[in-house]
Amino acid sequence: MTAPAATVDAGPVSRPAREHSLLRRLIARPDGAFGLVIIAIFVVLAAIPELLVGPLQTATTATGGRLQPPSLAFPLGTDELGRSMLNLTVHGTRISMVIGFLATAITVFLGGVVGIVGGFAGGKLDSVLMRITDFFLVLPTFVLALILAPIISDVIGTGSTVLGIRTTLVVIVVVVGITSWASTARILRAQALSLKERPFVDRARVIGAGRLHIVRRHILPNVVNLIVANAVLVFAGAVLTETTLSFVGLGDPFQPSWGQLLNAAEDVGAANLGAWWYFVPPGACIVMVVFAFTLLGTALDDLLNPRRRQRR
Amino acid sequence: MTERQAVTDAGSSTDGHGTADDLLRIDDLVVHFPIGGGMLDSLMRQPTAVVRAVDGVDLTLRRGEVLALVGESGSGKTTIGRVIVKLTRPTAGRVTFEGQDVTKVWSGQELRDYRRRVQIIFQDPYETLDPKQTIYDFVAEPLEVNGLGSASERRDRVLGALEAAGLRPAEEYAARYPHELSGGQRQRVVIAGALVMGPQLIVADEPVSMLDVSIRTELLRLMLALRWERGLTYLFITHDLSLAWVLADRIAVMYLGRIMEIGTAEEVIRTPRNPYTEALVSVSPSPEPMSREGRSERTILKGETPDAVRIPAGCRFHPRCPKAFDRCLVESPPLFDVGGGHRSACWLAEPGADIAGRALPVVDAAAAP
Amino acid sequence: MSLPVPPSARDGITPPDVQTEELEEQEALEAIAKIDQVAPSAGITTAAQRRQRPLPKLADPAAPLLVVEDLKTYFSTGSGPVRAVDGVSFKLEHGEALGIAGESGCGKTTTALSLVRILPANAKIMSGSISLMGIDLVPKSDNALRRYRWREISIVFQGAMNALNPVRRIRDQIAEPIEERLGESPKAARKKAGDLLELVGIPRRRGDAYPHQLSGGMRQRAMIAMALACDPAIVIGDEPTTALDVMVQAQILELLEHLRQKLGLSLILITHDLSVIAETCDRVMVMYAGRVAEEGPVDEVFRRPRHPYTQKLMAAFPNIRADRRTLDVIPGEPPDLRQPPPGCRFAPRCPFAMPVCREVVPPETTFSGVRVACHLYPVGSDGVPVTVPPAMAVDALPAAAAG
Repeated sequence: MTAPAATVDAGPVSRPAREHSLLRRLIARPDGAFGLVIIAIFVVLAAIPELLVGPLQTATTATGGRLQPPSLAFPLGTDELGRSMLNLTVHGTRISMVIGFLATAITVFLGGVVGIVGGFAGGKLDSVLMRITDFFLVLPTFVLALILAPIISDVIGTGSTVLGIRTTLVVIVVVVGITSWASTARILRAQALSLKERPFVDRARVIGAGRLHIVRRHILPNVVNLIVANAVLVFAGAVLTETTLSFVGLGDPFQPSWGQLLNAAEDVGAANLGAWWYFVPPGACIVMVVFAFTLLGTALDDLLNPRRRQRR
Repeated sequence: MTERQAVTDAGSSTDGHGTADDLLRIDDLVVHFPIGGGMLDSLMRQPTAVVRAVDGVDLTLRRGEVLALVGESGSGKTTIGRVIVKLTRPTAGRVTFEGQDVTKVWSGQELRDYRRRVQIIFQDPYETLDPKQTIYDFVAEPLEVNGLGSASERRDRVLGALEAAGLRPAEEYAARYPHELSGGQRQRVVIAGALVMGPQLIVADEPVSMLDVSIRTELLRLMLALRWERGLTYLFITHDLSLAWVLADRIAVMYLGRIMEIGTAEEVIRTPRNPYTEALVSVSPSPEPMSREGRSERTILKGETPDAVRIPAGCRFHPRCPKAFDRCLVESPPLFDVGGGHRSACWLAEPGADIAGRALPVVDAAAAP
Repeated sequence: MSLPVPPSARDGITPPDVQTEELEEQEALEAIAKIDQVAPSAGITTAAQRRQRPLPKLADPAAPLLVVEDLKTYFSTGSGPVRAVDGVSFKLEHGEALGIAGESGCGKTTTALSLVRILPANAKIMSGSISLMGIDLVPKSDNALRRYRWREISIVFQGAMNALNPVRRIRDQIAEPIEERLGESPKAARKKAGDLLELVGIPRRRGDAYPHQLSGGMRQRAMIAMALACDPAIVIGDEPTTALDVMVQAQILELLEHLRQKLGLSLILITHDLSVIAETCDRVMVMYAGRVAEEGPVDEVFRRPRHPYTQKLMAAFPNIRADRRTLDVIPGEPPDLRQPPPGCRFAPRCPFAMPVCREVVPPETTFSGVRVACHLYPVGSDGVPVTVPPAMAVDALPAAAAG
């Protein structure tokens, strides 16, 4: 049953104006605004931790007592070395966020290119690309990271850095990237494959459009929502993988991350001692970042789909 | 590979030879699709079977005419349309446009020129429009792709095309997205998108079959009005013989990749010379309640159109033909001219055929024990 | 009853592998030809023996088969209720075939699906009554209504490929309702499924096939067999031939006609295609924008259409038997059913619209068995059809007529 066309108050043809306001329309939605605000806060925390909570505290610069509960001086309490949990949690933000963003970038790029090229080109190229994808698809992220992290750390040494990031972190980024692009590629390929058969792609061919134009104008806009949804999941996954690796002791001991804090809390037996302030702040941060990205993903998905744009 | 469905008497045929009136000619067109099994087959390039979608077709489109290509599903009519707009590569045969062989044109300026002059309207207006594209972008896309006109010229041409397609005020429609329009409006957008390049030939592949009856007529009227205003030629692909009867100058009836009969609409519908066309005409729906006599006069063919993978030998229609005789089982009939360009691929239409003597059915599905 | 044996097989000259498919086709043709010979004793009820199974407990044997009164089914949407069916009444007698015609969105499908309440989640029957053999189905709970689905009212859907389960043999799918709903043994159910297949012209042996192994026409026949499985009081056909080629469509309509004669089937046929109704039905109900425009015997309505919408709709159909190669135009589009026009819903598109049409809902008046809701035919008028004024009847497709 086709509903009659709803009348919309369409203004004059001013396309750029419609597209420009994506950010504004994102903010106009409660979920989009909420997600953006949370992520913005964490980005600020990651960018200027020193300005907010002072330099990273170490065992020597610690000012508090052992495992003090939250107080005015230490709003989030202290760890077993007397360091402020607020200080540590804020400083841990950077690592988690950097890993998340880099891993997501790798995933979206590799997955997007392989998936769309494979699906759109088809034939032998597609077959070859998909076999490669399948290989990476079955690689277990965590086990791979578990094996690679110590090896690479041994070879390069834990102290050295690549592009300003410590090698162990690079390992995590790379491992998360190379294990999660495959599923993104699979999903995008399936979508590209079905889009390719849609009459609007045929029509684009008939008007003389080249492959690049078709991919850019017809395939990409129709998979953006999938890419966004996927990126959110990958980001969350990367943060969690870093957390897990740090938790089992494969993180970078010189740079605190949320995962490391959880690991340290476990080592000390914070839960048994009733020191909830040790594991709740980093844990809450992880949950909040993942939640914010999920909100943002849903909001973007809605906004990028013109069909849903009308209902508010 | 296939015996050519030749015109037996080329001299007397009006469109057997190219004339200045011919806009597009198709000669002995063959389109075969290999259908493979699994992935290994496609890697090894070993097709397991071949779908003979189009199996030797000659067709001429005269300048300014509406030619209806009628057939049931699987007849190959859509494939012919796709070959003409260069979406499908023919296996063999020749396509000539304005006297120039365009069969091998697959790239470059030549292809771009051809695409500007030959456009297609697809069946499903819901699927032809990209849901993520505004109406303006859809109609402007051909100009953009081909780098035609400045921004303001494009704007004028897009709005002009939208108005020509009956979408007024054009500015208001231009900013909308497809889902904000009704089916009829969408198909008008598709028409505007085809018109914007100023084509000479439009292949219309079932352009109204998804639309409600009350909306159909306005669209057909629009298409035919554009034919006069802009000197368009239409290849109108449809499964609906009644619709072809109403709007076409000439009708070509296809069955299993072949043309069975071609002629003016009057000739094909009123005096069909092919048993397949006769049967189609007799069962074509009409909103008039049929009398008992009318019902008993219908020829309801038995069975269904076979798969194009295994096309029967001889005349491909013989297993279902109520008038088939011995020759039909072994020999495929060419298109015989039965007068004035009206042609039929049936041995009964052979010049000088003793119809009365020959129409002794040896295969009669209805009377099977 | 023995299996049909193809003549070539009898002669023993058929190589088994190469010609299997041709063989099956041959068999299918013979099965269709044999339809007439299927004995009534094959477990199928005939018109004379109709209702072998007892009537529902509360049924009134003297009541008409189906009476629908003032049915209203609305869809709730974010922008207000869509009045998809807005006060529809009709009647179906035993053995009668009623065609419901109209364009998409006119409420024909919603009307029919309201009978068995197979509706989308946001649809609700607001008021009215649906009385099947004297039992009102509207107040019944969903649970109680289930007893009537398929057993009393079954449906043949449009897309047989979607309605059939792709991974089950068709015989099992037909046997399922017989077993589940009628409580017959699996063996008896499968036997009856075989009978049903033969009844609709599918060789019994082909019951082993999966849906994709059947042609489009055969699948639709299987769907019909499935609808007949529980010997229902009413079969609803929802665009049963729309997706089929014209020749196959003719075959299926022939089958329906045959089943009606043989089984005394009561049929409600929903279609946008007037020709299907003209060929198959006794009565036709033309709907527009959720209301009945005109209802009556097929011969009367199609030969002397009264409602301007019926006239326009018929003229908008391409007619291969008409000499004039014209198509009529109905200007505009159907109304938005969230805010339907206050008076007659067709008034904005009607060539005869009078001031009263835009304000007052036309009452239904009856002339020689035809019910029509139009101000052109007020109560007490002679009911002579008012036809489209000649000025309006210009060729809609002048170009084609000239060519």
